Amino acid sequence: MELSPEEEGKTSHVIDMTTSEKVVDLLNQAALIPTDEKLNVLKQVQELIINKDPSLLDNFLDEMIAFQTDKSIEVRKFVIGFIQEACKRDNELLLRLIANLNMLLKDESVNVVKKAILTLTQLYKVTLQWLVRSKAVSDMQEACWDLVTQMKGDVLALLDSENDGVRTHSIKFTESLIITLSPRTSDSDVPKRQEGDISLDKVPKDHTYIRYDVLCEEGKSALEKLLKFMVHPAISSINLTTALGSLATIARQRPMFMSEVVQAYETLHANLPPTLAKSQVSSVRKNLKLHLVAVLKHPCSLEFQGQISTLLLDLGMPQSEITRSTPALREQRKRPRHEQYTEGKKVKMEPALIEDDEDKEEPAPLTIPKPAAVPVAQSAIDLTAEFLHPLLSPENVANLVLISMVYLPDVMPASFQATYTPVESAGTDAQIKHLARLMATQMTAAGIGPGLEQCKAREDDAVKEEDNEEDSGAKDLLIKRKVPAVMMGQAISVVGGYAEKAPTTEAPAAVKRLPEPILPTAQTKMTGASGRKKVFRLSDVVQPLSDTQIEKLTSRAIKRILHSEKAISQSGMSHVRVKLLSRLVTQFEGMMKEDVLEFILDDIRTRSDLAFSLLYQEYNTYLSQLPTGLLDSYDHCLFTLLSGLQEKPEQRDGLFTKLVLEAPIITESALEVIRRYCEDESRVYLGMTTLKELIVKRPSRQFQYLHVLLDLSSHEKEKVRTTALAFLKRMYEKDQLRDYIEKFALNYMQLLVHPNPPSLLFGADKDTEVAAPWTEETVRQCLFLYLSLLPLNHRLVHELASVYTEAIADIKRSVLRAIEQPIRGMGMNSPELLLLVENCPKGAETLVTRCLHILTDKVPPSPELVERVRDLYHKRVPDVRFLIPVINGLEKNEVIQALPKLIKLNPIVVKEVFNRLLGTQHSEGSSSVSPLTPGDLLIALHNIDSTKCDMKSIIKATNLCFGEKNVYTSEVLAVVMQQLMEHSPLPMLLMRTVIQSLTMYPRLGGFVMNILSRLIVKQVWKYPKVWEGFVKCCQRTKPQSYSVLLQLPPAPLTSVFERCPELREPLLQHVLSFTPHQQAHIPASIMAVLEANKKTEPKPAEPVVGEQSEPFTAPAASVSEEAPTATLKEPETPDQHDPAVTKDEEEPMEQEQSDPVIQEESVNTVSQVELARASETPSPQPEPAEEPMETAQSEPSDLQEPEKDVEADSAESEAGSGSKDVE
Amino acid sequence: MPSHPLRVAVVCSSNQNRSMEAHNILSKRGFDVRSFGTGSHVKLPGPAPDKPNVYDFKTTYEQMYNDLVRKDKELYTQNGILHMLDRNRRIKSKPERFQNCKEKFDLVITCEERVYDQVLEDLNSREQETLQPVHVINVDIQDNHEEATLGAFLICELCQCIQHTDDMENEIDELLQEFEEKSNRPFLHTVCFY
Repeated sequence: MELSPEEEGKTSHVIDMTTSEKVVDLLNQAALIPTDEKLNVLKQVQELIINKDPSLLDNFLDEMIAFQTDKSIEVRKFVIGFIQEACKRDNELLLRLIANLNMLLKDESVNVVKKAILTLTQLYKVTLQWLVRSKAVSDMQEACWDLVTQMKGDVLALLDSENDGVRTHSIKFTESLIITLSPRTSDSDVPKRQEGDISLDKVPKDHTYIRYDVLCEEGKSALEKLLKFMVHPAISSINLTTALGSLATIARQRPMFMSEVVQAYETLHANLPPTLAKSQVSSVRKNLKLHLVAVLKHPCSLEFQGQISTLLLDLGMPQSEITRSTPALREQRKRPRHEQYTEGKKVKMEPALIEDDEDKEEPAPLTIPKPAAVPVAQSAIDLTAEFLHPLLSPENVANLVLISMVYLPDVMPASFQATYTPVESAGTDAQIKHLARLMATQMTAAGIGPGLEQCKAREDDAVKEEDNEEDSGAKDLLIKRKVPAVMMGQAISVVGGYAEKAPTTEAPAAVKRLPEPILPTAQTKMTGASGRKKVFRLSDVVQPLSDTQIEKLTSRAIKRILHSEKAISQSGMSHVRVKLLSRLVTQFEGMMKEDVLEFILDDIRTRSDLAFSLLYQEYNTYLSQLPTGLLDSYDHCLFTLLSGLQEKPEQRDGLFTKLVLEAPIITESALEVIRRYCEDESRVYLGMTTLKELIVKRPSRQFQYLHVLLDLSSHEKEKVRTTALAFLKRMYEKDQLRDYIEKFALNYMQLLVHPNPPSLLFGADKDTEVAAPWTEETVRQCLFLYLSLLPLNHRLVHELASVYTEAIADIKRSVLRAIEQPIRGMGMNSPELLLLVENCPKGAETLVTRCLHILTDKVPPSPELVERVRDLYHKRVPDVRFLIPVINGLEKNEVIQALPKLIKLNPIVVKEVFNRLLGTQHSEGSSSVSPLTPGDLLIALHNIDSTKCDMKSIIKATNLCFGEKNVYTSEVLAVVMQQLMEHSPLPMLLMRTVIQSLTMYPRLGGFVMNILSRLIVKQVWKYPKVWEGFVKCCQRTKPQSYSVLLQLPPAPLTSVFERCPELREPLLQHVLSFTPHQQAHIPASIMAVLEANKKTEPKPAEPVVGEQSEPFTAPAASVSEEAPTATLKEPETPDQHDPAVTKDEEEPMEQEQSDPVIQEESVNTVSQVELARASETPSPQPEPAEEPMETAQSEPSDLQEPEKDVEADSAESEAGSGSKDVE
Repeated sequence: MPSHPLRVAVVCSSNQNRSMEAHNILSKRGFDVRSFGTGSHVKLPGPAPDKPNVYDFKTTYEQMYNDLVRKDKELYTQNGILHMLDRNRRIKSKPERFQNCKEKFDLVITCEERVYDQVLEDLNSREQETLQPVHVINVDIQDNHEEATLGAFLICELCQCIQHTDDMENEIDELLQEFEEKSNRPFLHTVCFY
């Protein structure tokens, strides 16, 4: 082309003379005329040289360009337009004109600048296309491209211009640039007019100068710039509108960027710049809507349809309209297409420069990371939204709203007012998703949120991966830049040779070179700087400190940091100090650690953060040396802190707990401190709560912690122990801990089998195994845990039984004492307890009995229990004591059957039995209905066969009954006596009971007289014991009894007087006081007995007696022998014979009967004497003497069994002592 | 101050009342102004609200005038339609449709939001070429004679202010804010590119 002017000038000069001349003429005119006309003229010239005769273009180029310095803006703008047209017409002109454009780009008038930007927008594409088309790129072309690239950068920088219009134009330039510098794909919208435009896919990857990958990156960075520009909070409404439009264009023409665009729209919609006025907000929203619809109509919007329609809905577009704008589902777009483009357009290689080979290979790897960038930006919001979505519960959202109320501005911002649409679908999943997305957009924009972090991490990785490749790329870039710079000099001279006619063309060349020299100068500066460093050597100036100095300095430094607490906290940098301290202290061994710990402990409440930081740092250090590292240092730190806390007297906060729970590892010594903490009675609860937390939250070592708690369960301090037990009981419910606890408890209980308590029970320090005997304390120690578990797991009761059978007596006793509470807790319905009763292991009888007692102590026995006990009693262990607890559950006859055995037991036991039977034991709640009424019981006692039970026991038993005055009222006794009367033969103790009743209730006198009379009818004298009592009774009830005595036949009456001579005289007097008529009713025989004091009377009766039984005569003799003693005793009754009994027949019978009885007893006289003696004493009962002995024994235990037997024996022997003495 | 006079377009629905009123005044004040309608047809009030007179954009004002005179001269004189058409035919021969005009403007003023939307849609649907900006401003004017006259004055004032700025693009935002406050009505404003 350069050659053409000269050539053409000669050949076509004549033909074109007129045109050329016209142009010259016009140009001359233009120099002189005012602007308006000048423009007109210049337009004509442009028309002539560009369209009519382009051959003239080169000739008049300089003249035309000269107008770029015209003072008229319009003229300068015209020149820009001319440059554009000229360059489009002849691309070669770019080499000469681009620098001029660059000058105009920096024009003082914004309108010129704007025009220049518009032109550059066009020429950038033109230049690129031209260069791509060129087979060999000349140095000039390279320089030209470099300048264009530089200008591109300048225009991008104009996004920050102060002028709104310039910014607007810069945005449009950026838009065009992005589209040019990205590959056109099959799904790109291509405006017809731009079909021929260059785009990245048409740039060969092996171009000698233009680098595909660099352009690609430039395009992306331009997009980034644009996006960044858009989120500027103070963006003007027009800029924003422009940017919105640009993004829509980009999205449609380069769908690969659609996600960024949609995301930018989302962000904008949620963050309309606060500076916008109300009407501007509506304008922007209108635009947003318009562009969103445009994007939506593009087939590639498919995957963003959800987001776009949500936005459109928010912008107030009806759903129907959105649907109308949504493209029908289409085949998936094929992104990889643009790869094929480049392949197809591959420019044939020139056998060119060395660099070509490098270029050829490099682009391939560099293109790889490119697609990754697209999803990354997209997913930051996506990830955050996903993260937020589940968090947006109604409660959380409500809280957010409440919190943000505080930050609401006083006046409603215009943007909000315009944006606000009532939330129609509140609470639906779609709306929550939308909300999550809105928030995610905000968070991402603010630079927070998990999505952003993940993306950043991912990007970092990507960058790292790329680093190596990029390094080589960067190096190449440097090399390449240098090469053209060097070659430029030569090139210019060559060009200059051609361009001799045009002095102005030098200017652009110079301009072109402008950007180039910058690089070399910068490089020399850098080398200069590095050279200087060598002069100064630190080591020359300084000397090493001595070790002590170092130590001193470090410790002082630490101390300063340590004590600058207040000052630093005021500055708000405490966390830095804490971090610094912990790092320093853990890094350097030595005293400082102690100092810091001490410092912390001085006021641990406020310095806990330092404590934690230090602890973690220690742990971190340990971890970092893991295979060989020791925990010592960490352990020391934790131990010191915990001990410090433990020793401090007051602290309400849970710092100790917090420290324990947040410590990464609990060491042995730390556990020891925790244990000590738990042993402190004032903190036991807190300590154990902590321990519990440890057990629950650190399963890997839970048994270790649990063991501590278990140990504490037998602690000597009651509070510690009970608390531990309470905690353990709760933990026992947890399956994974259950076995361990149970095993521990059983093992501990198992210790009871040993003859001496193992040292374990005394703690590790006391080694006194051999000497110490079991004590109540030690036994209990073994049982605490077990017994507290027992109510939770009844099965365990069998273990106790087996241990019990093996244990020694002392332990047994302690066990029996200890089990009351837990057994009661189990209740009598516990199947396991019933099973125990049923099986009753050998040796565990007392245990079972005790259990039964405990169970029935307050409540009546259940039928099941009674059944088991009955079975046990009848089939296996016929020990009547088993029956006692369930006695009220037994049948009446069963009780009566067992009664002889029962009353033979220890008096205390007997008393208890009676209490149960009489219901006198428990004041309230004993609804147990005894199978026997009190009357029944007393009668049953009277009816006990004396062969089965000794009289003494029966007497004691009846005495127990009489002791219960509340139960045995006069009425009850009357009924009893009445019924006893009916028995035949008369119960031996009848008269005893009568006398006792009378003593208790004197008003029963009348009733007793009646009884006595009826006894006479029953020939009471035939029962010696009863007769004896009869006489006694009469004696006690005189004078009431006189009438009864008078009813006796003479013989018994004689017997009465024999036994009780002092009765005779009063009775006689009594009869004598009768009226004669009354006296007449007294038989003579009676009177004889009354009056006669002769002893011959009984004799005639003897033969009668003899008839019946011979052997009895001898005793009778002894009776008579005895008589004098009796008379001796009571001399005042000589006239006992007076009331003579007429009925002779009766008398002998009485004699006969009474004698044998006496004979049987073989001590009858003695008994009489005894009775007589008793009658003299105020109380007829011999029992009171015995009672104190009984009360001496308090424990109902089998251990007393032998004693009791002995006791019973002694009681019996005592009872019989009188007779023995006589014998 | 821009060296060349602003190229202004005033657009309403039928290019009869509001845009023509503004056209009239602006051209008298020396603006390079054109007026358009965006509707698919030209509609004029008829004998009843549901019976408008509908013409296409090829019909001249003259023809409409004659048509209405023939239909009901009295009615259309009374409601001012004939007067309006008479004025219109003296400005230009027939209504023009904005969508069919390829000329480039610096400023497009619309007279109601629907028209504004249509203009934006049209401008955005055009292929971009020079990237030369065009500002579109909406001034809401009710479609009656009085409002049209008031609106026309407002538009004229606005255009004059814009014309007198040193750098229209840099100042238009602020200017519109002031105008909004002064006239107490909101303006929609955006920029499009040719």
